[in-house]
Amino acid sequence: MNKLGLYIHIPFCASKCSYCDFYSFAANDNQINEYIKALIKEIKSWSEKCKQYVVDTVYFGGGTPSLIGGERLAEIIKTIYNSFNVGLDAEITVECNPDSINEDLLLNLKKVNVNRLSIGVQAMQDDMLKRLSRRHTALQAKHAVKLAKKYGFNNISLDLMYALPNQTIDMVLDSLNQMLELEPVHLSCYALKVEEGTPLSKQNPILPDEDISADMYNAICETLKKHGFEHYEISNWAKSGYYSRHNSRYWDLSEYLGIGSSAHSLFNGKRFEYSANINDFILGVKPIEEEHINGFGQAEEFIMLALRTSKGINSFEYEQKFNKPFKPIAKALKKYIAYGFVQNIDNTWNFTEKGFLVSNTILSDVLTSVE
Amino acid sequence: MRSQDKIRNFSIIAHIDHGKSTLADRLLEQCQAVSQREMEEQLLDNMDLERERGITIKARAVRMEYKADDGETYHINLIDTPGHVDFNYEVSRSLAACEGALLVVDAAQGIEAQTLGNTYLAIDAGLEVLPIVNKIDLPAADPQRVKQEIEDIIGVPAMDAPEISAKMGINIHDVMEDIVANVPAPNGDENKPLRALIFDSQYDPYKGVIVYMRLMDGHIKAGMKVKMMATGAEFQVIECGYLHPLGLSPQDALYAGEVGYFTASIKKVSDTRVGDTVTEVDNPTSEPLAGYRPAQPMVYCGIYTEDGSKYPDLRDALEKLQLNDAALSFEPESSVALGFGFRCGFLGMLHMEIIQERLEREFDLNLVTTLPSVIYEIVKTDGTTVYCDNPHDYPDPAQIEEAREPFVKASIITPQEFVGNIMPMCQERRSIFKDMVYLDSTLVELHYEMPTNEIIYDFFDALKARTKGYASLDYELSDYRKSDLVKVDMLLNGDQVDALSFIAHKDMAYARARRICEKLKDNIPRQLFEVPIQAAIGGKVIARETVKAMRKDVLAKCYGGDITRKKKLLEKQKEGKKKMRSLGTVQVPTEAFLAVLKLDDE
Repeated sequence: MNKLGLYIHIPFCASKCSYCDFYSFAANDNQINEYIKALIKEIKSWSEKCKQYVVDTVYFGGGTPSLIGGERLAEIIKTIYNSFNVGLDAEITVECNPDSINEDLLLNLKKVNVNRLSIGVQAMQDDMLKRLSRRHTALQAKHAVKLAKKYGFNNISLDLMYALPNQTIDMVLDSLNQMLELEPVHLSCYALKVEEGTPLSKQNPILPDEDISADMYNAICETLKKHGFEHYEISNWAKSGYYSRHNSRYWDLSEYLGIGSSAHSLFNGKRFEYSANINDFILGVKPIEEEHINGFGQAEEFIMLALRTSKGINSFEYEQKFNKPFKPIAKALKKYIAYGFVQNIDNTWNFTEKGFLVSNTILSDVLTSVE
Repeated sequence: MRSQDKIRNFSIIAHIDHGKSTLADRLLEQCQAVSQREMEEQLLDNMDLERERGITIKARAVRMEYKADDGETYHINLIDTPGHVDFNYEVSRSLAACEGALLVVDAAQGIEAQTLGNTYLAIDAGLEVLPIVNKIDLPAADPQRVKQEIEDIIGVPAMDAPEISAKMGINIHDVMEDIVANVPAPNGDENKPLRALIFDSQYDPYKGVIVYMRLMDGHIKAGMKVKMMATGAEFQVIECGYLHPLGLSPQDALYAGEVGYFTASIKKVSDTRVGDTVTEVDNPTSEPLAGYRPAQPMVYCGIYTEDGSKYPDLRDALEKLQLNDAALSFEPESSVALGFGFRCGFLGMLHMEIIQERLEREFDLNLVTTLPSVIYEIVKTDGTTVYCDNPHDYPDPAQIEEAREPFVKASIITPQEFVGNIMPMCQERRSIFKDMVYLDSTLVELHYEMPTNEIIYDFFDALKARTKGYASLDYELSDYRKSDLVKVDMLLNGDQVDALSFIAHKDMAYARARRICEKLKDNIPRQLFEVPIQAAIGGKVIARETVKAMRKDVLAKCYGGDITRKKKLLEKQKEGKKKMRSLGTVQVPTEAFLAVLKLDDE
C-alpha cells in the first residue's frame, strides 16, 4: 500500500504577527465552528479516494492549530481515523503557539495519539517577541515546553527566527541556547523575510545585511552541531531518528494531501490547492490545480527539493524515477565542488552547509543547464 | 525663361520648444495645402522618435501654394532643418537651399542661445532673416522688449516683425505676407547646365532613394542622365516633382529656383550625399556648388545584441537604417565579452543615441554598446601612420612614436551669468580658452579648442545642465594634436574584458578608470566567489575594486508544501541569468555595460 501524508490547515490566529503575510486571521467562535464542520465534511469526502493508502503522517499547520483547542482538534483527528487507514506508527504533529498550550489541550491531543508538537518560540528576548507581535514571553515559552514534556510529549520541535530587526549574532545565539536548555529533539531555524504590506515592512526595520545574516546561519549550524543535531535540511535540524517525517515528504516528492483553505497537495501525480479564502472552503469549493511554472517538470521539482536535504540526490534513484540521464546535472553540480558548495560521495550529490546558503544561485544555474 | 519671382524658399529657425512645428502646421493651413482632417498634428516631423524628443532629426521639405493679398499665387517651399550640433552640416545645407529664414522667438522668453548658432549660419549663408514673435498669447509676453533684443543681438530690423500665436492661430496671415514680401525670389539661370543642391534623401522601398534637392540652375526631367558630382555616381532620372504635404507630386520637369525631388532607382543613400551637386551627364556644369563635405563620423562604438543569436537581425537593421542615413557607417567586429557585433561610426553622440534607440525601438533589439571613442592618429616607430577608433586595435606602446588626438573648435553661446559655470567645466576637459566675445549686454560667445574625446561623452549634456539649457554648442573638427594617450584595460577576476577597454589622455585615465571600477562594482551582483575588478595600463594596475563573494541566497521555507513560490523565484533567477554575460568565470549583467557607458550622466 502507498503511503500518504495528510496536512490539515487551520487558518486562525489569536492575532496577526507583524511579519506574517499568510492567510490567517482572528476569527470568532462561530466562524471557527463553521470551518471545522466543513473541514470534517471535506476529510470524509476524501475517504474513498484514499482507500489504497496508509496515512503515515498527519500534520496540523496554520495559522495556529492549537488556538482552536484540544476538543476540536481531537474531533478532527477522530474523523481522520475513521476516514483513512492511519498507520500504527503514524507521526501526528500539531503546530502550537506557547500561549495556547495548556493542560486541557495536551490531554486531548494525547488521547488521540498526537505524538509530535511543533512550537513557535521564535526568539527568547521579550522586547523582540513584542516587536514581532508574538503573544507570549520567553518565560511563557519555557513553561509551555516543560508542560508539554510533563504530559509525555518528547518529540518536540521548536521554531527559531533569525535575521530579525536590530538582531545581533549574540542575540540569535542567546535565543538558541535558551531553547537548547529545553532539550528539543528538532529545531527549525528560519531567516525573517520581510514581506511587502505587512505591519513590519511599514516600520522600515533595520535588518541584518547579507553578511551578518550568513554569519548567523553559520553560528546556528555550528552550535547545533556541537549539541549533536543533524542538519538534515536547509532550515531543519534534528537528533538522530527525529527528522520530521511529514515535512520530508515535501522534499522527496512523496504524496501528501492537504485539506483546508489554502492547503496544497501533491496527490496522484498532481499538485492542487484549495482556495485561500475560508468562505470558499466553508461553501465546499473544490481544490484547483496549481499554476504550472514553465520549466518545472517533476524532475526539476525533484532537483530543487531533494537538494534542500543533506541526503541529496542519488543519481541512480533519479535516473530510475524520471527515466532521464543524471549526467547533465552532475556536470553542472561538479563545478561547485571545488568551491566547497557541493559534495559528491559515490553516486550521491548534496549541498554542504556553505552550499545551502547560496543554494538558489546554484540551483538556478543547475536548472538552466538542464534545460 | 520662366519667372522665378513667384517662388519663395525658406527655413524656420526656432528654439526647441518655441513652436517651429506648430507654426509649420499653421502655415500649411493658411495655404490650404492640407485639409484639417488630413492633417496629422505637426506634419513635418514624421518619425515617432522626433516627436518624442521634440527635435527634427532629418530635414524634410514641403511646397505650398499661397494666394497673397496682391492677388498673385506664390509657390512657397518650406525646408525643415534638424536642430542639434551633430547635424550642423545638414542644417547648413538646408539653409543653403533657401533665400530666407524665419527666426521664431518666444515673446516671453526672448531670444535663446541655441537659436543663435543657426541664425548666424543663415546670415553667413546670405539669407534674409525674418524675425517672428511667437506666443503673444502668453501672459508674460512682451513683444516690444523681444523685438529690441533681436535688433540688439542679431542686428536685423525687427520692429515690423509679425506678432503671432501659432498655437492659437493668431496673425499667421502676417507671416505669409512677410515671406512673400521679404524673402527674395531665387535668381538662378534655367538656361545654364543643371546644378541642384541635395539637402536630404530618403530611402523608399518602392522607388529607391528619393533625393530632395534645390535647383540652382538649369532643369531636370524624367529620362535625363544625371551625375552626383562628389560621388561620381550616375543615374537616369525616373521621376521628378514637388514635395506636397501629403506626398510626392510628379511633374514633367523642375526648373531653376524650385525645390523638389527626383528618383532614379538609386539603391543606397550613400550615393546621394547631402551637399552634393546634381548635374546633367551630357551637359555638365563646370562648377559644383560650394560647401560639400563628405559625412565624417566623429564617434565610434561597438554595438552588440544582448542575445548573441540576434546578430543577423542587427546586421539587417543596420543595413536598413543605412539606406536612409549616409552618415552611419558600420563594419563587423567581435568581442570576447560580447560576441559578434558591429563597429559603428556616428556624427556625434546624439546621432549615436538616435541610431541605438531606433535599433531598439523599430527593430526590437536589445543592445549592448561599448564606450564611444574618437579616431586617434598614431605614428608608429616604423614611420607608418595608423588611425585607430577601437581600443582593441591600439598599438603596443613600444611601437608608438607619437600619438595624436582630434581637436575641435568649439563655440559656446551663453547668457553671461553662466560663464562662471562653463569655464571650469571646459578646463577640466583639457580645453584651451581662445577668447570671449560679448554679443550684447547679456549674451557672450566663448571660443575653445577642445579635445574631441572630451566633448563626445557628456559635454553637451553637462553644458545644458549647468546653464539651465540656455547655452548652445557648436563645434567642428579642426586638427590632430600630439597627445599623451594611454590604453586602459579592465580586468574581471584577472581576465581582460575587451569590450571595456578605452583610450584616454594620461591625465584623465586614472579618474575614469576609478569610476568604471566603481560602476562595475555597483552593477555586478555578488558571485559565489570574490571578484576583483582592476583597471590597468600595460601591466600596471591603476584602480581596483572588489565584488564581495555572495554569502546568502536561499529561500528558507516551503510553507505547507506550497512550492509554487519557490519555483517562481528560481524561474525568475534563471531568466535573470540568461541576461548575464559569462566573462570567464564571472557573470556580468548587461546593465553593467550600460552603466559604464552612462558613466558621465550623473
